[in-house]
Amino acid sequence: MLKIENVFHSYNQKEDILKGINLDVSKGEIISILGGSGSGKTSFLRILSGLERPHKGKIEIDDVLIVSENYFLPTYKRNIGLVVQEKGLFPHLNIIKNVCFGLIGSKEEQNKVAIDLLTTFKVNQYQDQYPNSLSGGEQQRVAIARALAPKPRVLLMDEPFGSLDRALRESLREETKLFLKSNRITCLMVTHDEEDALSMSDQIFLLEDGKLNTHQQL
Amino acid sequence: MFYKANILSPWTLLSLLIFCIFASPIFIVLASLFGEYSDNWIHLYKYVLGGYVYNSFLLIIGVSTISLFLGIGTAWLTSNYNFFGKNFFDWALILPLAVPPYILAYTFTGLFDSYGTANNLIREIFSLNSEYIFFPNVRNIYGAIIVFSFTLYPYIYLATRIAFINQSRSLREVGETLGFSKFGVFFKLVLPMVRPAIIGGLMLVIMETLSDFGAVEHFAIQTFTTGIFRTWYGMYDLQTAMQLSSLLLIFITFFLVLERYSRNNISYTSGSPTYGKIENKTLTGRKNILSFLFCLTPLSIGFILPISELTNWALNYKLDFFEANFIKNSFNTIYLALLAAIFCTFAALIINFSGRIQKTKFFGFLSSALALGYALPGIILAIGIMQLFIFLDNNLSFLNFVFTGSILGLLVAYVIKAYAMSNTSIESGYIRISPYMEDVAKTLRASNFKILTRIHLPLLKTSFLTSIVLVISEVIKELPATLILRPFNFDTLAVSTYIYASEERMYEAAAPAIAIVLVGLIPIYFLTKTIRSSRPGKEN
Repeated sequence: MLKIENVFHSYNQKEDILKGINLDVSKGEIISILGGSGSGKTSFLRILSGLERPHKGKIEIDDVLIVSENYFLPTYKRNIGLVVQEKGLFPHLNIIKNVCFGLIGSKEEQNKVAIDLLTTFKVNQYQDQYPNSLSGGEQQRVAIARALAPKPRVLLMDEPFGSLDRALRESLREETKLFLKSNRITCLMVTHDEEDALSMSDQIFLLEDGKLNTHQQL
Repeated sequence: MFYKANILSPWTLLSLLIFCIFASPIFIVLASLFGEYSDNWIHLYKYVLGGYVYNSFLLIIGVSTISLFLGIGTAWLTSNYNFFGKNFFDWALILPLAVPPYILAYTFTGLFDSYGTANNLIREIFSLNSEYIFFPNVRNIYGAIIVFSFTLYPYIYLATRIAFINQSRSLREVGETLGFSKFGVFFKLVLPMVRPAIIGGLMLVIMETLSDFGAVEHFAIQTFTTGIFRTWYGMYDLQTAMQLSSLLLIFITFFLVLERYSRNNISYTSGSPTYGKIENKTLTGRKNILSFLFCLTPLSIGFILPISELTNWALNYKLDFFEANFIKNSFNTIYLALLAAIFCTFAALIINFSGRIQKTKFFGFLSSALALGYALPGIILAIGIMQLFIFLDNNLSFLNFVFTGSILGLLVAYVIKAYAMSNTSIESGYIRISPYMEDVAKTLRASNFKILTRIHLPLLKTSFLTSIVLVISEVIKELPATLILRPFNFDTLAVSTYIYASEERMYEAAAPAIAIVLVGLIPIYFLTKTIRSSRPGKEN
């Protein structure tokens, strides 16, 4: 479903931060990439989402090329969802408008999708409130709902539970996993937390020295 | 990162277009140096140029000396001591910035001329005959030095005060334990440490002095700006006026480079994170009174005196304050200023947005280059724009639009002059928006246009409005460019003040002058807010 071939990336044209990444992900699979800070895991997600362009390599989704050395599909045409650790919600839009941001169609259709997702993630009671009135955990639930609203082909998550306390992250992990599995959404998560990776993933890879050099089949 | 700018992006092209429109008048002026030199130039070179340089030099020396004394002195007192009125002076000392030098010049002559308010008062109090003149003539270079010093010293006060506040007190105490007296610590430790801030403020004072037209013209002092104006308006020799402008531009660039250099070095005066709340020493007795008087003097001469004299003129001699001409000129001014503010703010928004989405240093460079426009004298801009428009009129006649004499020239001049203000507002607004937001928005199928209109613009609302207000207050004061580029029979408040003053109809000049000062108080309000939040360890 998601095919990554020999991807190289660098910021300064001198030293590669990613050195020949290869990865095949099946539909509905949840993959975690573990790595320390500066290992290049966020850069990897940015390349997949189209926010950065690799200087070498090829990426395909559903056998359709999205990036190669001669081709680059812009982010807004990729239909890839992204959840970041923090500060991702638009502070001037209320919760329902945040979730509707990436949706097309009539207002009624958009609202229906948004309310369904907010209900799934147990934050539908806040739909008219603004992000700053929600707790960190609630904001992250909204962020996941918003990323899932346009029915992305792949969901990318960058340390999605990093800023939450233990009890909260456990419940949100479970709910997210349940939703992804029941809807067969392919997901790629980067984290430095082994527990997050172990509880969420079908496969775990280790990003070290710019390479995905070890992995563990669960 | 420079190489990454996508030249074909519409945002890049738009940014480059804005840059080219703004930069072309400057290049046109500079290019004149390589053109032909007329007989007028030879005449100016032989007989007048030396005088321009001498007068400009004398002005710079005089204004610098007094401004440094006032700026550093008041900054030192208000940042280190408690004395009577200290909290008031903290912000009030920047009020003279609201009074353009030409307005202080007009009120100065109104006050101190042989039959001005001050001499009349002295004669009345002491029952002297009408030929007795107490105050000396101020219509000379010394009067101009006083006028510039007392309106421009706040640039040094502002920069130095922040540097003093951010200076570690423990360093001074260490200096004293090493055997330095209080004076020794001040001259050998404190001043050298804030030198970049002082130089930065001083360069702004010098650039403003060199750029001024209204005050030196009123005092009949031969400087570059009056020379350029006379060459263009008196001799109708645009080429020579541009060549003179180029010389002034070279001077200004020299001071601008110094200002930028000192700004880059300013970081070593910035505070360390170890501050607690600084307790100022409380002055009593004679020191208390002297400090109060020292701070009151520049405020009185630079602000209270001109405002009192203007109010006196307006109330006692010109009762029909809101007469038809005043209303018409106010409308013209607001209309122009608002248009310029909107253009300027959108220009800053487009360039900052382009930089944001393309993540390259190219747009930062573009923005910095455009921001240098604040240092350009209005008269140079006017000459450059005039020549550009003559060229456009000659070559684009099929457009059926006459560029020369349209308000377009004024708008271009204002936007160049005020871009730095818009850029500062928009840039600081962007700093507060997390880049994650546009990353996420892009993954939610948002185009760049949607990101700008749905995410950035609503979040930049305050910065946008601040920019509009600041540009309006700057544009309203502008005189030389307005004087040269305005459409026929189109007066603004600044122009009508100038015309009334040059015809010695001071009382009629009062209403537009007061309006200019009142609008000039708006940026002072913003500066005051900055000052209040600038002390480390103090709650905002």
